[in-house]
Amino acid sequence: MRRTVTLLSRHAGGGGDGRSIPQALSDVLVCPLSKKPLSGVDSIPSLATAHYCCPRFRPANLAAPVRVLSRSRYCEASGSLVSDAVGVSFPVVDGIPSLVPKDGKFLEDDQGKSEQDSKL
Amino acid sequence: MGTLTAAISVAAAVVASPAGRRRGRGSATVRCSSSASSERQALFNRIAPVYDNLNDVLSLGQHRTWKRICVSWSRAKRGDRVLDLCCGSGDIAFLLSQKVGLDGEVMAVDFSRQQLHTAAERQEQRWKLCYKNIKWIEGDALDLPFTDCYFDAVTVGYGLRNVVDKPRAIREIFRVLKPGSTASILDFNKSSSLFTTSLQSWMIDNVVVPLASGYGLTEEYKYLKSSISQYLTGEELEKLAKEAGFSAAKHYELGGGLMGSLVATR
Repeated sequence: MRRTVTLLSRHAGGGGDGRSIPQALSDVLVCPLSKKPLSGVDSIPSLATAHYCCPRFRPANLAAPVRVLSRSRYCEASGSLVSDAVGVSFPVVDGIPSLVPKDGKFLEDDQGKSEQDSKL
Repeated sequence: MGTLTAAISVAAAVVASPAGRRRGRGSATVRCSSSASSERQALFNRIAPVYDNLNDVLSLGQHRTWKRICVSWSRAKRGDRVLDLCCGSGDIAFLLSQKVGLDGEVMAVDFSRQQLHTAAERQEQRWKLCYKNIKWIEGDALDLPFTDCYFDAVTVGYGLRNVVDKPRAIREIFRVLKPGSTASILDFNKSSSLFTTSLQSWMIDNVVVPLASGYGLTEEYKYLKSSISQYLTGEELEKLAKEAGFSAAKHYELGGGLMGSLVATR
């Protein structure tokens, strides 16, 4: 399933849906595993996202570094914060970001993942 | 869609106990560490609705004084960026909020979603303008979602004792602190005095647990006794802090030796 991301425009407070968080907060938080900035998944196919944690997303002919075309930190479509460094998304529940590593989820791909691929 | 649970089990092998290493791969011990953390998380979720009331009853309100001391010793001041780790229902976060003011920011982290929701509700009910500077985050003390050298002060109130890997938690606290800044870690005191230890044990068995049973939380508060016995003495905490890289670490006893606060400066 392809996730569509809209570039974030700065907003001051949480959204009415209770899922979003202030831009200022999402700018501060980093991935608890990689300690790298959280960024959004954009709509360009797999070339744009660094799924380097998963071998099947390492095309041999891909020149490094892969450009991440979207730097938005919060994915409004999924209501989650995304770590491209490890290919994991972290949910935002009632406006509170959940950045406990064990609650992270590997990013979906439109070809579906087998259980084997999702385990390191 | 997979989860990180299996991946974390492997990654957590780096914190496997010596017992686990004697078994070779240590995967059973890894599962023990992970399941212990989940059990404690569930425990704090269960006690969240009555946590504040019980703190007041069990300590006769004294916990408020100890928490004020914890905040004071963190040297947090107006405009600072501070972290309250294992924030629970937010007592210390609210104190920090008033200390740093609207020019500062308070990141309050806990692994219990229920405790955080209680804290957020209290934030709404109490409404003080300065409380706008508090951000609640569900997170793990062993993997903090902040960059290095980010905070001017860190506080931990009755949380380090519940963390399954205390050396790693202290290393994380060190990592996120700015050089020259202070961590103030308040908790029960694991005393080397037989009198103090006996008094603590007696109070838990004859006061705390019976009172908690009135809330249907007998087993949850029985956990307190074992957690104190497995905690570290003041001297051990000082040693741990210095091993993590802190330039200075001193443990102070409070409440007649029943409580203690580790003050460590990076």
